[in-house]
Amino acid sequence: MRLESKVSIVTGGASGMGAAESVLFASEGSHVVVADMRIEDGMEIVDEIKSSGGNATFMELDVTDEKRWSVVVADVLSQFGTIDVLVNNAGLSGSYQSDIMSLEAYDRLMNVNSRGVFLGMRSVLPAMCESGSGSIVNISSISGIVGQSYVHMGYNASKGAVRIMTKSAAVQYAENGIRVNSVHPGIMPPMVTSVGTADPETRKIMLEDVPMNRVGLVGEVANAVLFLASDEASYITGAELPVDGGLTAR
Amino acid sequence: MGDGMSSNGIGRLTGKVALVTGAGSRSEIIGNGQAAALLFAQQGCKVVLVDFEEENLSRTLRKISDQGGEASFYVGDVSNALDCQKMVELAVNTYGHLNILHNNVGVGGSGTVLEVEPEQWDHIMAVNVKSMMLTSKYAIPEIALSGGGTVINISSISAIRPRGLTPYTVSKGAVIALTKAMAVDHAAEKVRVNCILPGPIFSSMTSVNMSDEVRELRRRSSPMGIEGSPMDIANAALYLASDESRWVTGISLVVDGGVSLMSPQR
Repeated sequence: MRLESKVSIVTGGASGMGAAESVLFASEGSHVVVADMRIEDGMEIVDEIKSSGGNATFMELDVTDEKRWSVVVADVLSQFGTIDVLVNNAGLSGSYQSDIMSLEAYDRLMNVNSRGVFLGMRSVLPAMCESGSGSIVNISSISGIVGQSYVHMGYNASKGAVRIMTKSAAVQYAENGIRVNSVHPGIMPPMVTSVGTADPETRKIMLEDVPMNRVGLVGEVANAVLFLASDEASYITGAELPVDGGLTAR
Repeated sequence: MGDGMSSNGIGRLTGKVALVTGAGSRSEIIGNGQAAALLFAQQGCKVVLVDFEEENLSRTLRKISDQGGEASFYVGDVSNALDCQKMVELAVNTYGHLNILHNNVGVGGSGTVLEVEPEQWDHIMAVNVKSMMLTSKYAIPEIALSGGGTVINISSISAIRPRGLTPYTVSKGAVIALTKAMAVDHAAEKVRVNCILPGPIFSSMTSVNMSDEVRELRRRSSPMGIEGSPMDIANAALYLASDESRWVTGISLVVDGGVSLMSPQR
């Protein structure tokens, strides 16, 4: 198994890509901490994992809440002794508000998508440094690489921040044996928080940019995250891995 | 699975057929193509090994049969169109279909444009770029006929971090452009095309005449302070070859221990 006996934290693990990552990680032998604000959905994923013979625990987490991060990290360490993998997957859709020039939306997108990722890394790095190893996978987006007509530019800014923050963290913590990489999903099914990009007409326009001419599946992103999290990627750090059906190649 | 997730366990390439160029090794030190061929075979793939020297191939073939894998070989020159056509025919005639083309062949090339001889420039472009066009030209229709599959090209971080290897840098930059262009051209036929940018790894190609001092300098150029191995490149190739990456096309995957994130003295 590709994550045998590793302890992983997946933020936003209760739904969408995060849930797919949690289920896949567990099936590869990891003990998965599903960390999310959505308690019921998170518990359901944990039950699903357990019923198929995997190991998982739910912990309530708002990624913007510094104190909750401390509690979650302390709990994981006291219960499982180590943190091998962190997947910073939690994020807010670039169209959660229909007004894509809203200042309030800009602040919120940066707070959740960018500051939340920073807080996650900052919270687990001391434990990873102590053990001398670790793998962090940050979920950015194609929105961190190219501009788009249909999402808030604050979303692009927040995902661009994740992309470059990943490279800085990779450089700063390489000597501690910690790898940090980013995954860049393309046009995916609408997120729980999507409004504008859930509109069928907008989705038609979005798909025109994809050479493979279809949306991605959450499991396809999870496969990329698994590869980077595992020891197969032991010489890969600071890399960006688009999973986008060819969108950014064009 | 309906959600696109990989199936668990071994045999990540079971039922697939791969053509791996540059699959030989000129010494007992493992090469990129050889490492990929071994890993692909371990994962249940039938592999056609291509190299220009039979002796180089025999080392790889022996290792694959030792581990119980299935492989055939073709001795030929990938910068020659007829050889490329024949190696694809061999794969299809032997195993019935073709799913994966892994282009590993490459030569080094140092110097500035003031120093490089035009003939040397042409040779490097022929071996490093034209070869990938030629193998793809014959392999892509067969991959499409087999229901889709993947082409994996080896570029280099030299393409994004030049350092006195100008012909090599230019050829590897062309590999990235060729990868993206083919990805866009053939997405509709379900042929995915991606490339890997290896950093300073220690392989049968790079180890030739390398002093211990240079090897140590290369190791330290990674912020992780570890030396890359052809197995690291092979693991990336396995991800790109398997259906786990079935929505991934046109990407340049850097496998370099973080070397290209900074520009340390090397």
